Amino acid sequence: MREGALAKYTKKTLMYLFLILASLLSIFPLYWSFISAFNNTQQILGGRMIPSVYLVQNIQNLFEQQDVFTALKNSFATSILQTVVALAVSSIAGYGFEIYHDKAKDSVMSILMLAMMVPFVAVLVPLFQMFTQAGLINSWIGFILPSISTPFLIMYFRNSARSFPRDTLEAARIDGLNEFQIFVRMFVPMMRPTYAAAATITFMNAWNAYLWPKVIMQTNDSITMPMMVANLMGGYVIDYGVVMAGVTICSLPTVIIFFVLQKSFTNAVAGAVK
Amino acid sequence: MTNAVSSPKKRRLSMHQKQSLAGWAFLAPATLLIFVLSFYPMFSALLTSFKRGRPTALEWSDPLIRNYQFMLRDKVFLQSVTNTLTYLIIQVPIMLALAVIFASLLNNRNLKLRGLFRTCIFLPCATGLVAYSMIFRTLFTYDGMINNVLLRFGIISEAINWLNDPVYAKAVIIIGLIWRWTGYNMVFYLSAMQSIEYSIYEAARIDGANGLQQLTRITIPLLRPIILVTAIMSTNGTLQLFDESVNLTRGGPGNMTITMSHYIYNTMFTKNPNFGYAAAMSFVILVMVAVLAAIQMKVGDKR
Amino acid sequence: MKKLVSLLLAIAMTFTFCGALAEEDGKITIWTWDPTFNIKAMEIARDMYLEEHPDAQIEIVERLSEDIETAVIASNGDTSTLPDILLVQDNSFQKFVTNYPEVYADLTGKYDLTDFAPGKVAYSTIDGKNYGIPFDAGTVTATYRVDYLEEAGYTVEDLTDIDWNRFLEIGRDVKEKTGRAMLSGQAGAVDMVMIMLQSCGSSLFNEDGSVNLKDNAALKEVISIYKTMVDEGIFIEVNTWDEYIGTISNQTVVSTMTGCWILSTIMSLPEQKGLWALTNIPKLPNAEGATNYSNNGGSSWAIINGKDIDLALDFMQIYRNVDFYSAILPETSAIATYTPAKDGPAYTAGSDYFNGEPIFATILEYGAQTPSNITGAYYYDARDALGTAITNIILQGGDVDTELATAEDTVNFTMGF
Repeated sequence: MREGALAKYTKKTLMYLFLILASLLSIFPLYWSFISAFNNTQQILGGRMIPSVYLVQNIQNLFEQQDVFTALKNSFATSILQTVVALAVSSIAGYGFEIYHDKAKDSVMSILMLAMMVPFVAVLVPLFQMFTQAGLINSWIGFILPSISTPFLIMYFRNSARSFPRDTLEAARIDGLNEFQIFVRMFVPMMRPTYAAAATITFMNAWNAYLWPKVIMQTNDSITMPMMVANLMGGYVIDYGVVMAGVTICSLPTVIIFFVLQKSFTNAVAGAVK
Repeated sequence: MTNAVSSPKKRRLSMHQKQSLAGWAFLAPATLLIFVLSFYPMFSALLTSFKRGRPTALEWSDPLIRNYQFMLRDKVFLQSVTNTLTYLIIQVPIMLALAVIFASLLNNRNLKLRGLFRTCIFLPCATGLVAYSMIFRTLFTYDGMINNVLLRFGIISEAINWLNDPVYAKAVIIIGLIWRWTGYNMVFYLSAMQSIEYSIYEAARIDGANGLQQLTRITIPLLRPIILVTAIMSTNGTLQLFDESVNLTRGGPGNMTITMSHYIYNTMFTKNPNFGYAAAMSFVILVMVAVLAAIQMKVGDKR
Repeated sequence: MKKLVSLLLAIAMTFTFCGALAEEDGKITIWTWDPTFNIKAMEIARDMYLEEHPDAQIEIVERLSEDIETAVIASNGDTSTLPDILLVQDNSFQKFVTNYPEVYADLTGKYDLTDFAPGKVAYSTIDGKNYGIPFDAGTVTATYRVDYLEEAGYTVEDLTDIDWNRFLEIGRDVKEKTGRAMLSGQAGAVDMVMIMLQSCGSSLFNEDGSVNLKDNAALKEVISIYKTMVDEGIFIEVNTWDEYIGTISNQTVVSTMTGCWILSTIMSLPEQKGLWALTNIPKLPNAEGATNYSNNGGSSWAIINGKDIDLALDFMQIYRNVDFYSAILPETSAIATYTPAKDGPAYTAGSDYFNGEPIFATILEYGAQTPSNITGAYYYDARDALGTAITNIILQGGDVDTELATAEDTVNFTMGF
């Protein structure tokens, strides 16, 4: 009995050690970029691990060199817009594919899957030409349009819809709800963890998007945060303190979004979900 | 009498049709968008893959499959295929296994500080690409921290040029990928675990099932649909891997770590632009991804 | 929740067209990169132009070099989304004009290029037509840390007008005495190899545009010296640009040899002030036409078709003004390729970082002695193939002749498309 308790204790300790180690490794780069926002170039490249006194100066330089507010505004607008629209469009499609599935819809789904298999670089030029003709260059719509309907999100919601109980569906129909009402009033609330996870991921992808935005956002007014940070590193003189201040500001929103939404996709609200 | 019998039957049929129609209406916007924004440019890329010449004056190549034939003789392309498959085979299984393990550990309600651990493990994928690649480069560079630490503790006697060695540079990319994407996949597993009744675990524990048994007998079978989604996505993502190759190693040293997408990008944007050849290579990736996805679906998707 | 969603949507929609393209006539839009260098220079040009044309509208947009290149290729011949003026890397100029002749305005006879360095003008001249207005020089300088040299018992004079054999001797000695490598550089980008190659007037291509790798004796000599340096730890190969800059800021290396724009990096490191000395590079011991001078990098302005070309040309006359170059030099360290600029006051002044030496005048002298280089549309294909060959030679013990033959095949293969 005592031996069992000891083994259990060792196992528990090992588990915590494993998690602590994983956590430390995971946060290290973000910690480092945060700390480095307080340091100057020489300290950063020298591997200094503790904050120094250059934070204010770095932030001042950053705001002098770059229009941080414009970049933040554009990044927030495009990321929120993309998250909301993508979740709406893709979740209802995923629901449609699963709940009403038949041979025809299943084949459509398989065809849609093909869309994620072509590397984005291959469609970049034809896509850019379409957007030029449609006058969508430098617009938020142009930014989000290619990523609001993604096979990944559709597939994710389709697979999640499998756990939507048929009984609930039938009961709702008997209660006289129409199909759209069932989706909005029954499915959406029940799938809150699914939506929260998808929102976190979509927001993050939109926030960190780089290849497409740098092609389609061509004016000083349409710059996004990752583009701004990349601009800081493109020159003959790289002030790493400024870069790290930019990186930290750029990373904060995704971290905050995760903090806010993670409650929804973990069991903090398990009672409400079940 | 006949009317009374046949009319509900007719109505049931039309109700089924109505539901099916509703289904079509639900999936129509998404489908339409994908057709316009993905399939149309894909189709135009497919046509381009049979053409050659200056980007604004493309003409049909002779023979039509000329670009595809060239690929087999293109050493850099073959190198990029080998590199990409290496990343795929090593990284995806490790990453997904780690993600499942983290998710099931963090799903344990008796675990202290779960919120903190969860946030920490997710943070890598919230870290911007620029920060992440810069940090990895700074850590692994010749006069960087990893070398300094290893030298100080006498583990190595001379600094290793990590990013400039074909094997080490690949390892750095794989480490970077696992570091960045494990938490991302964990998020999906954690959300899916919310639909597993927690009492199942409690019952299993009372029956004496240990953690590993709970993982293999309860968690993994119930998570199968989501594991399938993430497996397909990770395979797809790795075969189209671009960011890490571009930002961590620039494909170097000497194309030793370049991925297929990165090579396609170079073919279009850094070398003399060759749209036809780039498009042809893209379709080879499409076929590879499609085949792997089909295999995974066959294995994992038992409805 | 639903209300919140629709509210967010509505807000987002109203903002959507804020940034929409609205290009009025009479406005000049310019794309360029680097706020401490090209952008700064352009801002000074803008301010000078505005003094005489107070109504002019000039917008300078910060875009990275690779982003500009991507945007030009993505627009694929349609100039409607492009600006009036953009900056082009000299090494890419031929590639872009060859592929997109409809995009770049032919400036032949429209802009007076007589006072610009002929080697520089050659980068943007295609089939006898001029497409570029030269900007900064890429004249190669060798800059040394005097303190480290002293530690090993050398002065910068010992490294002036020497050949690579002598450099190797000194390099070994310095490495032994100080533990430091002499040089560092990006491995795959093969900057160092290209610099050494151009110093004897050799290129990766022949005059007729054919590839010149496997039978290029000068290239083989260069590779052999380069390999020796890397093998003996005199040259540290790194993978990326910021790692390279890191080896200078971290004081890992004794010297750096690259385009004179690196002064801009050096002069951003205050704690190394006064510790540097500048001289010419070693020359190849055997190659025909070997010199101590070379070129790396630099860029030129292009004017885009389908815009108000006359207006753009009028604005660009600033780049033929000595005062302009004197104004930008202290701000940016961008060295002119406009020859009369050397008489400006800024060029004869000494530099704090280089112990008061008048380095800018020296660099202009070097520039005049630099052999020219053949680039062409496939320049980067050749460079990439050469980078792979050199990596194989150095890291995997590949044979020089075999690897160069393979590289030549690769480039020919690409050109055969």
